[in-house]
Amino acid sequence: MNEVTRRNDAREPAKREEQKETLVPAVDIFEQSNALHVIADMPGVSRESLSIEVDNNILTLEGEVRLDMPEGLSAIYAEVRAQRFMRRFTLSHEIEADAIEARIENGVVHLVLPKKETHRPRRIDVKAA
Amino acid sequence: MFGDLRRFDVGQPQGLDWFRQWMDEVFPETAAADIRSVPRGSYPMINVGRTDDAVRVYVFAAGLTAEQLEVSIQDNVLTVSGKREAPDVGAEGQAARTDFRRERYQGEFSRSLALPDGLDVDRTEAHFRDGICEVRLPKREELKPRRIEVQAKNAS
Repeated sequence: MNEVTRRNDAREPAKREEQKETLVPAVDIFEQSNALHVIADMPGVSRESLSIEVDNNILTLEGEVRLDMPEGLSAIYAEVRAQRFMRRFTLSHEIEADAIEARIENGVVHLVLPKKETHRPRRIDVKAA
Repeated sequence: MFGDLRRFDVGQPQGLDWFRQWMDEVFPETAAADIRSVPRGSYPMINVGRTDDAVRVYVFAAGLTAEQLEVSIQDNVLTVSGKREAPDVGAEGQAARTDFRRERYQGEFSRSLALPDGLDVDRTEAHFRDGICEVRLPKREELKPRRIEVQAKNAS
């Protein structure tokens, strides 16, 4: 296990560095009959600083915390110690990637990932013989 | 400021929460901790910073509005409290819903933190934007940094 970790380190040092400085937003994920919903807490992220991408079935949720902080502010105590939120999810094939909708309100991102028509539950009428 | 914050080694990055919490249980910390400190990942998270003329408290309360967050100060202890409701997905949604992850905090919360001495509590202001509440607590006049004239002493 150690060996594997070390090899990864050597190959992507830049990537690991980047990961250290990002926060992982807490998410709720739930499924309804027609869509999957992802709700993520990203306080301080505005509509302009939020970016949502789908590439190769990977959904990337990324946002920058924008805070107006005065010059010369020094930290006394800090629980949030990075300025960027990022989280990735792998989408399954039944998601209609082109129809994903997102909205952000008070630092909470709500994503709706609709399922493809063919994967929605269908009611089958039983006919009398 | 956030660049600076990395100097403050108050814990592991957020992603390792579960691991850290488990470690805390198995190997309790013996070092002295702030009496009001909480495990990482609590809601809401709080940052505190200081400038020459004020102390600023940032409350990372995603999903709340200004009305839903209550900020109070008593005996130099700042308390933020409120309640975060479950997201509203409609009655139809609630019935046919399968949850895969529930990481977001729901329900009532209350967090307190001790403030440094010498703040002018009466002139406190709080602003709310994009899920962050910024509380500005000005320092009292006598505590602001002040330049002292050095006078030459006359030989008498």
